[in-house]
Amino acid sequence: MSAEPAQRSRLWRSGRSRSLTLQAGFSLLLLLLLAYIVDRGSNLELDIGFLDQQAGFAISHSWLTDFDSNDGRVAAYLIAVSNTVRIVFVGIVLATIIGVIAGVARLSDNWLVSRLATLYVEIVRNTPLLVQIVFWYTAIFLKLPRIGDNRNVFELVFVSNRGLAIPWPEPRTDAFVFWVAAVVLALVPAYLVRRARDRRELETGETTRPNLYGVATFLGVVAAAFVMLGLPVEIDTPALVDDRFTQAYVGGLSITPEFAALLIALVAYTGSFIAEVVRGSIQALPPGQSEAGMALGLTGYQRTSLVILPQALRSMIPGLTNEYLNLTKNSSLAAAIAYSDLFQISSIIINKAGHAVVMFIIVILTYQAMSLTISAGMNLLNRRVQLARSR
Amino acid sequence: MTAAAPAMRPGGPRRWVRKNLFSSRANSVLTIVTTLLMLALTYNVARFVLVGADWESVDVNRRLLFLATYPGDQQWRLWPPLWLFAAVAGLGYGLWSRASRREIASLLAVTAFLLLLIVEGNTALLTVVTMALTVGGYVVGSRARETQFDVLARRAAIGGGVAVLPLALVLLNVGEGVRTTAWGGVMLNIMLAGFGIGAGFPFGVMLALGRTSSLRVVRIASTSYIEFVRAGPLVLWLVMARFVLPDFLPAVGGLDEVDLVVRAMIVMAGFSAAYIAEVVRGGLQTIPDGQHEAADAMGLNALQTTWYIVLPQALRAVIPALVSRFVSLWKDTSLVFVLGFVDLLGAARAIPAQPEFVGKQAEALLFAALLFWTISFTMSRLSARIERHLGVGVR
Repeated sequence: MSAEPAQRSRLWRSGRSRSLTLQAGFSLLLLLLLAYIVDRGSNLELDIGFLDQQAGFAISHSWLTDFDSNDGRVAAYLIAVSNTVRIVFVGIVLATIIGVIAGVARLSDNWLVSRLATLYVEIVRNTPLLVQIVFWYTAIFLKLPRIGDNRNVFELVFVSNRGLAIPWPEPRTDAFVFWVAAVVLALVPAYLVRRARDRRELETGETTRPNLYGVATFLGVVAAAFVMLGLPVEIDTPALVDDRFTQAYVGGLSITPEFAALLIALVAYTGSFIAEVVRGSIQALPPGQSEAGMALGLTGYQRTSLVILPQALRSMIPGLTNEYLNLTKNSSLAAAIAYSDLFQISSIIINKAGHAVVMFIIVILTYQAMSLTISAGMNLLNRRVQLARSR
Repeated sequence: MTAAAPAMRPGGPRRWVRKNLFSSRANSVLTIVTTLLMLALTYNVARFVLVGADWESVDVNRRLLFLATYPGDQQWRLWPPLWLFAAVAGLGYGLWSRASRREIASLLAVTAFLLLLIVEGNTALLTVVTMALTVGGYVVGSRARETQFDVLARRAAIGGGVAVLPLALVLLNVGEGVRTTAWGGVMLNIMLAGFGIGAGFPFGVMLALGRTSSLRVVRIASTSYIEFVRAGPLVLWLVMARFVLPDFLPAVGGLDEVDLVVRAMIVMAGFSAAYIAEVVRGGLQTIPDGQHEAADAMGLNALQTTWYIVLPQALRAVIPALVSRFVSLWKDTSLVFVLGFVDLLGAARAIPAQPEFVGKQAEALLFAALLFWTISFTMSRLSARIERHLGVGVR
């Protein structure tokens, strides 16, 4: 600071005491605000006893257990959480696949393919997700033929405005445990074979195709298991029951129109954002990487999968994490089409029982727990990828 | 967009086709599959738009979609802010853009399209005035550039832009006023987004400065606010505005009795501020220490350093990210459905309930989607242009 004599108070001239003064003032303001909020909040009821009471409403979507309106509100809430987790999990997996494909396709040498990918990204990304959800639900899925019309594809896939029914593998109770054991055991020889060939390739320089041999070993052991045990699962095909009392699909996997609409919209929307993340990461790579791949004689597919994507993955992870968190929060738009997710069930509980503040805190904590789980998982992945670089 | 329209190389279209579509066997397969896909898509979309759809359901309901329950004889309150916006947008574009003819043409087409949608017989003249103001603003802006009026015009553009929202709020409240409960349609979306940006942006910048502050208490407070808000989805905060906010608003000036629309605006601003803060923080982190040290050496105090040195550079670096936040906010205005508002989407969902348009869900929703899309897309295009012009990351 300047050598000018301290005209102003010393309290203000010295950086340390000035910062302390400012912080003290700010703390005082914060405390006043806090005191005000506590004072206002003191007449709110903050006990959670209402959660033990009977729910008093039915839930249209529950996939793990059954629920009726006599069950407790905690059970209702847990079903809601399970519904949200289900849509988020499936959504993340599918959106990643769509996003990576679209992101790579946007940079394709093929003019038509890159145009199509651009069209998809620019249309879907700039339209509100809610509009898309409502569109898929009211203008597509609810417009499908009625269930009584019995529209199906080879008696395997059934389509109606009550949803879809598709064949679904059910684990065979007698053989499934052995199958799991066989698959796990098959990994050991596969790993050993792959490592041995990998080493030989490093030492001798000949092409040994370690991945191919590893996978072949694995499949060999699995084939042996198949000869001994038979199929691990039975394919459960759906059928339409249409009589005077019920019209419904039995067997297979039934997907409600709400779930399908929400899933498609979420996947398309998040996928378009992931595509941009992927594109950005690929474009951030030095062009020499792709050129070197070409010089080595790699095909386009090999360049993308062996050279470009593994490296782009590093800079992709923060963006991906962000999109996964957005998807988690966006799943709350389920309320617009009455899919029983976390947010919708909580709103119903608030409408029935009040206690909005308590409910909000619980919901926020639940979303935060999901977000933290996703972030933790992605951080783990991030660490693995970054380690691979320093090796 | 990565690949611009294909440039015709010497060798003609045949060579271009071979190079871009049939360079290898795999590529040829891909081309054929994509072509079939595109043909099927185009055919179905065209068939629906031209033959299958009943656009009368949209045409008859334009009032509902744009204004919903807003009283028809109060429309005069909305035109002046629209005019101001049109003039300022034209002026700003004239001043700052180095746009090609083609770009100006496409932008004009978009504006004309949006304006033609609100023409309803007696509003034709007012629409023409709006169009003329845009064009006039552009002409004035491009003429004033790099003359003695340059600075004046720039100030007018910025001042006018800032004044649009206050003007609208004042006009909506003078005299009898229009109660916020009557706001609806696109107008409601615009007001929510405008307020969310107008109030959320300064608040967000303050939060970002707080989060990077050297004062620990300020830092902790800002960080907790940002993280807490970002923890929950917007719909949750909106519902909170309905159930919880009234309990906590002070009884000063009737603030505890403010209606739901105002509460929704407060939530929009507070919510977007948390996200804007994170964007701005990214910009603040790009400022090298040398800038602070140089400002210190010049004898600037902390406030002056922030205002004259740090913020201009930091904000400039994150303009594209900021615009994409604004686009998100614009799209997020549709979430007010949880409060039962009739915004653009709400109006579009109401149309199939009219007896003469039963089952016409797709038309109204596609129209709403198109409106949302047009504005979002124009904004993201502009931000991409700014990004190219500024050379982001390069000071």
